[in-house]
Amino acid sequence: MFEMAKELLKQLFRKPFTNRFPSKHVPKSTTKLLKNVKEGMAKVNRPVPIPEGFRGKIAYDKEKCIGCKLCIKVCPANCYDFLEKERKVKYHLSRCTFCAQCVDVCPVNALTSTKEFLLSDYKTH
Amino acid sequence: MIEALQAIALIPVVAIVGIFISLLFKGIDRILAARMQARIGPPLSQPFIDVKKLFMKENIVPKNSVKWLFEIMPIVSLTASLVVLLYVPLFGFKPLLDGYGDLILVIYLFAIPSLAMVLGGFASSSRYATIGAQREMVTMLSYEFPLAISIIAIAWVISKTGTCIPAFSLGTIFTIPVWGLVGPIGFLGLVLLSLVMLFVMPGEIGTVPFDAPEAETEIGGGVLTEYSGRNLALFYISSSVKTIAFAALIVALIIPWNISNILLLGGTGAIVADALFFLAKLFIVVFVGSTFVRVAIARFRITQIVKIYWGYASLAALFGLLLIAIDLSWMV
Amino acid sequence: MNSGKIIEKKYRERKPDKPVKKKRDRKSYSLSIGPIHPALKEPVRFDLKIEGEKVVNVDFELSQVHRGIEWAGTRRNPVQIIYLAERICGICNICHSACFCIAVENIAGIGVPARAHYIRTIYGELERMHSHILWAGVAAHELGFDSVMYYTWKVREKVMDVMEALAGNRITKGIMMIGGVRRDIKEKQVPMLKEALEYYKKGFGKLGDIFLKDPVIKSRTVDTGILSKQDGLALCAVGPTARASGIKKDVRQDAAYAAYSDLDVKAITPKNLLGEVKGDVFDRIVVRLLEVKQSVEIIEECLKQMPKGKIVYEEKIPKLLAELRSVEGDGIGRIEAPRGEVIHYVKLVGEESPFCWKVRAPTYNNLLPWGPMLMGEQVADVPIIAASTDPCMSCTNRAVVTDGNNEEVLDNEAMRRLSVEKTNALKRRVGR
Repeated sequence: MFEMAKELLKQLFRKPFTNRFPSKHVPKSTTKLLKNVKEGMAKVNRPVPIPEGFRGKIAYDKEKCIGCKLCIKVCPANCYDFLEKERKVKYHLSRCTFCAQCVDVCPVNALTSTKEFLLSDYKTH
Repeated sequence: MIEALQAIALIPVVAIVGIFISLLFKGIDRILAARMQARIGPPLSQPFIDVKKLFMKENIVPKNSVKWLFEIMPIVSLTASLVVLLYVPLFGFKPLLDGYGDLILVIYLFAIPSLAMVLGGFASSSRYATIGAQREMVTMLSYEFPLAISIIAIAWVISKTGTCIPAFSLGTIFTIPVWGLVGPIGFLGLVLLSLVMLFVMPGEIGTVPFDAPEAETEIGGGVLTEYSGRNLALFYISSSVKTIAFAALIVALIIPWNISNILLLGGTGAIVADALFFLAKLFIVVFVGSTFVRVAIARFRITQIVKIYWGYASLAALFGLLLIAIDLSWMV
Repeated sequence: MNSGKIIEKKYRERKPDKPVKKKRDRKSYSLSIGPIHPALKEPVRFDLKIEGEKVVNVDFELSQVHRGIEWAGTRRNPVQIIYLAERICGICNICHSACFCIAVENIAGIGVPARAHYIRTIYGELERMHSHILWAGVAAHELGFDSVMYYTWKVREKVMDVMEALAGNRITKGIMMIGGVRRDIKEKQVPMLKEALEYYKKGFGKLGDIFLKDPVIKSRTVDTGILSKQDGLALCAVGPTARASGIKKDVRQDAAYAAYSDLDVKAITPKNLLGEVKGDVFDRIVVRLLEVKQSVEIIEECLKQMPKGKIVYEEKIPKLLAELRSVEGDGIGRIEAPRGEVIHYVKLVGEESPFCWKVRAPTYNNLLPWGPMLMGEQVADVPIIAASTDPCMSCTNRAVVTDGNNEEVLDNEAMRRLSVEKTNALKRRVGR
């Protein structure tokens, strides 16, 4: 009975479960913050490790691309526009659903999944 | 005459300090609740930020509402809560309006914010608010009885054994620890009564599990559905002031001791120590009566609230009263 | 026959052209909950007739979140549709995509490698665990018990981490492929998965204690929102909603797909724990919690039995697409999603994109049981009862009836006329 009440009292004296951001606010200068951290002047929360095979932001290597259009064919969200002149593609991050099907299908590995996932921005392109 | 003028001058000070402390306690309450739920929670200043933001927001009055009633009720509610604050002993001092009213008046004053909410809810002409107002009324009716029993029982103990004349005056009650006046059976009765009072607290201030009048997942805010901007801020402040006032009342009734006598302090030191000790006592009461109960129990249905207050709480209070009566008759 | 009668009766009650009572009923008034309401996670509108606190009549209105996914599907190729299907419902994303894949595999006669079958099963069960634990949290929130919500969601985080590590994404995992799965479960990932299962085995008792022994939760859920076995059968309830009413209905048991035929899966009813079946909200909690336990056992069994080998029928997507382009026919996929049975119907006509794609989500079946559940209950219990079937509106909404500001309500006749028109149009398109 009242199992939860016991648990709550226990949790009161434990650290919160939340994964914190490294620092509370965006620092004015990231390098300075990192330097301070090294010197022990500031503290940052260690980020949670990202597992292998994480599907983050897609990185596009324009040099490797051969313009085979396979990514355009499989992309469920129409992320890719074909540039006729250069025979390359243009990747719209804002449309991407991170299924990484294009990464699997690319014959020359021009597309790769990165571990970047903090993508909110005021810019739309 | 001079004393009365002094009291009048102190009223705004008490009001401002009361609002400040109550919002601070709300911040502490929120952080503790968050920690119990393994969250980080908002910063301590969050209630102040909330109030500031609400005051900046537009104050919307629904088209079909009874406008004057709708607009005036938040003010009535806040005024009543602040007036209560003047009648309960704070920081180890005598209540400001001591001698102008007694415990019975305080009980009635506590009902006014709830009544204001009921009227405001009915005036806003929203269906959710109507249901919420009905529930608020039912809740009020059910918790008043056990509350009245326990408060009056304690005052009765003091009047029976003490030598003081105005027995129901809070100014005298808070100077006499009630626990020393009774034997072991009466002690048990007092424990019961204190528990009942603590149990009535969430109902009185309208938090989970007795927040059926405002249940957000059921009737979307209930009585407060249509309130916004300044009016909502006034209700917000009013409810937090009421929390503090009620906790202070419980402190005065059950744990009225001061620490300065024990620490053998005098002068300013005594006042500061007593004030801090009062805040600690207040914190304990708020934590037990509101914060912990709020996170540890699911919301009751309105029918269950009635059953719990009218049934169990009243029975417990009456039983406590009986124990005290037996004890006192033996002593005499 | 009996079921037909009840539905007919229900329909007649809800018929819009029935003359409204002129005499004003002073005792009851109507309360509308939704489409936007704190208790509802997704838009649906309840129109409740209330006497005091008692609900005397229930009506609800859907189609606030029609997104035209099926239409969008007929303009994409099957590989693209897999990801579109995932987005029918965030929580049942494996079920919808797997269901679509099974439907297409049935049409094209594609054989799925045995290992892929097992991997699909593991993902399906992980998803069931995550969905049920998430639901438990939502149910606690509806009861006004937020601490339990935070606690259960904290417990859920483990399975999310596992899914992220296995698939690379937390929610829309993008793991299904026609003819298999996209990512293998590697040898070095197995210990992590096992550790998570141990965590749940240990944590299950505590979660069970919190939900099944808490006096307040018990007093709010026992004997509320009762769905009798008869009503459940008549109104075609599926999934945990049906099982909580004592109907032993489970696609994993009745029409085993993926690796379930190798595993011994039995439909769980509250009888297993409580010894009797009431069909109330409490029973639904019991069934879901027991199913979490069952899922852990299934995954363990899968890890033991899983054979080695290929994970997908055809690795080269262009080749697969070319093969699907040459296929004609229609097929059905059936899967037991966390909420119940989901059915996908696909018709391929030898073109790039399917000619037709229809989805029947489990919530569609679990809507009508709301009627008998909510009738006679208190307003305070409406949120928890509505949530007890784990409704997913955006899965369900398949039609939208609005015409700008001119409100147009379709009655039975108009609906039939429209469907006949659409069928004829489709026939013309096929050329028959």
